[in-house]
Amino acid sequence: MTAKTITLSVKRYDPERDEQPRLQDYEVPFHEDWVVLDALNWIKAHRDGSVNYRWSCRMGICGSCGMNVNGEPKLGCSAFLRDYLPGPIVVEPLNNFPVLRDLVIDMDSFLEKLRWVKPWIIREETALGPGEHRQTPAQIEHFRQFSMCINCMLCYSACPVIAIEPEFVGPAAIALARRYDLDSRDQAGQERLRTITGDDAVWDCSFIGECSAVCPKGVDPAKAIQQTKFESTMGMLLPWGGTK
Amino acid sequence: MGWHEVTNPLQSSDVRDVPLNGAPGGRDGMAVAADRPLRAYPFRQPFNWWLKRRGYLLYMIRELTSVPIAVWWLLFLFELARLRDGSGGYRPLEGWFVAVSVVCLVAAVWHSYTFLNLAGLIMRVPLGDRTVQPRVIVSAAFGGFALITVVVAGLIVWGGA
Repeated sequence: MTAKTITLSVKRYDPERDEQPRLQDYEVPFHEDWVVLDALNWIKAHRDGSVNYRWSCRMGICGSCGMNVNGEPKLGCSAFLRDYLPGPIVVEPLNNFPVLRDLVIDMDSFLEKLRWVKPWIIREETALGPGEHRQTPAQIEHFRQFSMCINCMLCYSACPVIAIEPEFVGPAAIALARRYDLDSRDQAGQERLRTITGDDAVWDCSFIGECSAVCPKGVDPAKAIQQTKFESTMGMLLPWGGTK
Repeated sequence: MGWHEVTNPLQSSDVRDVPLNGAPGGRDGMAVAADRPLRAYPFRQPFNWWLKRRGYLLYMIRELTSVPIAVWWLLFLFELARLRDGSGGYRPLEGWFVAVSVVCLVAAVWHSYTFLNLAGLIMRVPLGDRTVQPRVIVSAAFGGFALITVVVAGLIVWGGA
């Protein structure tokens, strides 16, 4: 009996040799419990050690293995081969980023945007310091879902606005800014809000909503962006507008 | 199998904060890394990107519904202007205008439906230390829409009579 296999078409790009990316087919063993990342690891170990991709935890925590699987932004560790039968499975780098090599993208722009929104607790005078800083469950619930972001950048790959406006801060960075804006311990006030309601930020978003659809952690960046738009507008129109 | 001696261990003193080389263009003057490979392959958005995902297509339809709505208002304003020449020039009840209006009404209803459905996501209404549930906001939005529609329809029908 012949062992079951499935074809992986992997986008390859060697900046020293290739003018443009190309697809390369690999026949890999099929296992019910294998994910695309397992198949890539098998290729690297048994067929072609030159294939490049990022990965680390294999359990949807680290956000390293973001890639396009049959055109859909996915974590390689969460995309089961069985969901793509009979194949082939086309594996490509995330959209909207320059490709350094094969599936490895240049994420510098994202890291820079992330720093720009100051995703940390800002205090007016002193740092939080040691000891307890208690919050009620209701206070935590205000920002909890936004804190689930793992910076996998799938939302950037799904956002067509990034493709035409690369300076757009983008979904994950704004969701994280929102996470801290809604934190009762944060005192950034207008400081962070001015950043994400200024140039290249929330008003660039045309509310396509696919950032939220592809998020593997159930974060809703589109919600973060639209709520920021709404509250900054209310803050402008109403004396009591803008909420914490 | 015994332990292997690590011949070239990384010392903590080897790890330093390396300043990012000062490539210009960072936001707020923040430096960005300059040592990128020279030939990173840029991403190019295909012209038919909006056909690549169902969500993209629905977005385009949602946005394009504003075009027939704008066209209808232009036609209506044009017809109102013709009223100045007397009611003989007023044609909104002619077949072509009714047909165009029906198409525009479908677009307007779809636009309103998608807009009101998103109200629960857009609005965050604090209520004590909690927030109002999105489904309550959406229900209130549809309720308000229905009420206003009835009131406007009533004004047109009975007001006209």
